[in-house]
Amino acid sequence: MAVAAETTPRWSRRRRLSWASVRRGSVPYVLLAPVAAVLAAILGYPIYSLVRLSLQHYTLFELIAHKGQYIGLKNFGSVLHDQIFWHTLVRTIVFTIVNVGLSVVGGTLIALLLVRVSGWVRILLTSGLVLVWSMPQVVAVQVWNWMTNFQNGVVNYVLTELHLGNYYGHDFTQSTTSALGLVTTLIVWGALPFIAITLYAALSQVPAELVEAAEIDGARPWRVFLDVTLPILRPVLLILTSLSILWDFGVFTQPYLLIRQVHIHPSNYLMGIYLFEEGYLKSDYGRGAAISILMLFIVAALAFVYVRRMVRIGEAE
Amino acid sequence: MRTKAVRQLGWNTVGIALFVVMVFPVYWMVSTAFKTDDQINGLTPTWFPFHPTLKHFSDAIHTPFFWTDVKNSIIVVLVTVAVAIVLSFLAAVALAKYRFTGRKLFIFLIIGIQMLPGAGLIIPLYVVLARYHEVGKLSGVIITYLTFALPFCVWTLRGFIVGIPSDLEEAAMVDGSTRLGAFVRILLPLVAPGLVATSVFAFITSWNEYIFARILLNDQNTQTVTVWLSYFLGTSRNQDWGALMAGSTLTAIPVIIFFLLVQRRIMFGLTAGAVKG
Amino acid sequence: MKTRILLAAITAVALGVVAATASAGVHRAQANKLTVWLQVDAQSGWPDVVAAANQQFQQDHPGWTIDVQYQNWGDHLQKFDATLAGGNTPDVIEMGNTEMTKYMAAGAFADITSFKGSFANSSNWLAGLAKSGLFGGKLYGVPYYAGSRVVTYRTDLWNKAGIKSAPSSLAQFTADIHKLAVKNSKVKSFSPVYTAGTDWYFAMSFVYDYGGSIARTHAGKWIGNLDSKASIAGLTAWKNFYKAASKAPSTSDENNPPPYNVFSQGQAGSIVGPGWFSCCTGAKYKAVTAQFVMPSHVAGKAMPGFLGGSDLAVPAPSGNKALAADWIKDFTSTSAEKALQAKGNIPNATSLLGTSVNERAAARSWFVPAAKHWVDVENGNILRNMLAQILIGKLSVAQAAASASDNITSVLNGA
Repeated sequence: MAVAAETTPRWSRRRRLSWASVRRGSVPYVLLAPVAAVLAAILGYPIYSLVRLSLQHYTLFELIAHKGQYIGLKNFGSVLHDQIFWHTLVRTIVFTIVNVGLSVVGGTLIALLLVRVSGWVRILLTSGLVLVWSMPQVVAVQVWNWMTNFQNGVVNYVLTELHLGNYYGHDFTQSTTSALGLVTTLIVWGALPFIAITLYAALSQVPAELVEAAEIDGARPWRVFLDVTLPILRPVLLILTSLSILWDFGVFTQPYLLIRQVHIHPSNYLMGIYLFEEGYLKSDYGRGAAISILMLFIVAALAFVYVRRMVRIGEAE
Repeated sequence: MRTKAVRQLGWNTVGIALFVVMVFPVYWMVSTAFKTDDQINGLTPTWFPFHPTLKHFSDAIHTPFFWTDVKNSIIVVLVTVAVAIVLSFLAAVALAKYRFTGRKLFIFLIIGIQMLPGAGLIIPLYVVLARYHEVGKLSGVIITYLTFALPFCVWTLRGFIVGIPSDLEEAAMVDGSTRLGAFVRILLPLVAPGLVATSVFAFITSWNEYIFARILLNDQNTQTVTVWLSYFLGTSRNQDWGALMAGSTLTAIPVIIFFLLVQRRIMFGLTAGAVKG
Repeated sequence: MKTRILLAAITAVALGVVAATASAGVHRAQANKLTVWLQVDAQSGWPDVVAAANQQFQQDHPGWTIDVQYQNWGDHLQKFDATLAGGNTPDVIEMGNTEMTKYMAAGAFADITSFKGSFANSSNWLAGLAKSGLFGGKLYGVPYYAGSRVVTYRTDLWNKAGIKSAPSSLAQFTADIHKLAVKNSKVKSFSPVYTAGTDWYFAMSFVYDYGGSIARTHAGKWIGNLDSKASIAGLTAWKNFYKAASKAPSTSDENNPPPYNVFSQGQAGSIVGPGWFSCCTGAKYKAVTAQFVMPSHVAGKAMPGFLGGSDLAVPAPSGNKALAADWIKDFTSTSAEKALQAKGNIPNATSLLGTSVNERAAARSWFVPAAKHWVDVENGNILRNMLAQILIGKLSVAQAAASASDNITSVLNGA
């Protein structure tokens, strides 16, 4: 720095020095201020309120009176002693692993496919993925509901015609496995476009020469993928996996609207639905807040490894 | 040579098959919008409506507040995206280019906010907005959407900016340009794909958001198009599937148009930033 | 440079806020505005009645405007909860009659007992509806309209099977069902009477018909009553009826698919549900659609039907209680109720009752226990699960009923 200062002309030295000193100044805080202000103004109270509610007995009565009673950690205790909470947690973790696994692996396969198909097929497939991505969740659920309706759902019709069994009059929400299987199909279907397109874009960063060099060396496609492609994709995969974990663990809209209130039962609860049923339908807001906070810690733990790696990659610059 | 052609055909077939499977629900939605009520409720599916009817689209468009709600959605989404991009860009620059105390804490908060279960925040958030007299107004909805979009946007843009070497900026300034000049010429074009990618995500998320729009907006004059759609589901009487599908198709169109317009930029954008983490 | 960007950012935000608030229309708190929440049924079914009430109100109170905001059944309670928390509730709200008790117990509504005399026909409100608006002896909800359950049937199929008249007893109805099943055996999945497996409104009608009930009170506590002999007799009768009459899957519910859709596809000889089902039986069978009252197992009587309906209440935080009560008075006036009746609803007073099938069915009715935790029983699907278990056959009627009864006892007592 000092050497450079001596050899560069005076006017640019002044600029360099002022640039450096500004760096150490208040600029970063000024830049952060608008975002911090919005988040603090809007989320500050809700987050504080969430913590406070979790320590109170707060039902509809208290909501109307605007006043709750402090009961310490009793809400947490009641949730942690609830068998349903633990069963739901295990079920949701399995659900998350399956969904994230299928989404990320499926997305990767589609991305690899996109590289290999002819140009016009690529455009067709990409457009199709975009169409799927742009459907609002609420709409997508209605369409899937419609397609699997036991009376005249087209999925039921096709499955029956293909002699895979008699699906006429089959209610997909009858058993937990088939209900959550249906939800998984919907969620993975909706998640594939974002993941596939992102990975495809990342794949185009993989230097063709490296791939060719590896192939000339006689490596099988699988090895080429593991040794050349995967390392370059790793940062993207980390981001996508951690986002998927966050989203799939707390998912609510799709399972709730697809299974519908009348078929929801503790045996097919997912954490997002458990929160809604125990906290909001029963108007026990204190309990709902406690469940929210527990969910936050759990998902943080699940995504911890990925998030830490992501932050480290950024820091290395 | 022949095996290569056969292989290519094989991949193309797989690609087309995948297209058909993925797009089928979308096709089902759009085609149902054109079917008659009888075909819709029929026990055997009508694969292709050979005698399409425009009745459902007409019913949908002629519902009292359709155009008003479309206008409201457009306003909400455009303002949200514009403000989100500007604010998150500033914050991302700070996080990416500067070292200052509290940086790790801010990053931690940004990520943490994305982990909060949304359902838990509905009522407290409503209370806050009520206090600011922002309930029932589009500005209240915009602020809410901003709050949920900002963390993701800041985090993503940070990734893009981190990837740009700082020597480029300094070199531009040594060349004699002003700070603003250096910025416009060098940094902005490099970050542009990232800005586009982030804005698409913000656009789609805001356009499709339902829960908060429903809770905050009561007057049918101020509602957004996703709330308008929910009225087709809400009646306890005769559920009009045709109109619902027609309405859904209509609400999906702007998103598709926006996305198709900017999708090439996204390829570069998602890559450049994402790979660098 | 950085300041310029900041300035640009601030301007953008400011412009955005201005644009949003400007285009949001004038929604500053207007001094003389009454906010009313009605369900979308009113918007699509009887907007003229709403307009007439508004007109009357404005005549009596010049300078006041009424803002009617239409809600969906699915999320109107969530929205109401948010407004209760935020302190900006509407002045009048339409509530389902099964939703009332929970909110009355929590203090959500204003006491309008003093206004009772001003409401039309308040001395002979339908018992089932009126009860849902009372709590602790005070009036919180004004009956708005009701709906009972009837059988909507295909006259052509009835004629073809040689059935001359509507059944006067359950036994006769069952015999008729066998005739219909035989005559229509060629039709795919034909149900002489299509009802959903978990349609608890229908199933509980049998329970009440045989003298049973869902729950009773004793010494201030609720006790589930489905395991009583009478209730079990009712459930068994329902199970037998169902097995003969309906081909719907055991776990199906009455919303998906809507029974009138099954009817319109020719797969049902008749369906059981609200009177307005006749609106939507499809163009093909419109001419041959008619209704009759579901018969009891006792010849000559009607089976008690679930009396669904809505009440109108004034949320406690409202600042315009007297005016809100006045608007309710206009909206439930005799002429308004007669207009509702013309649209196929049951008016709120016995003095206004006519002789339509819907209204005759309301002569014998049952209602859910007036417990503040009743909604938890509904949301928890306790009755639905019991019915599904009975139909699937894994548990006997007595076992399923006993288990559900215990469940109901603990939920209603707040466990």
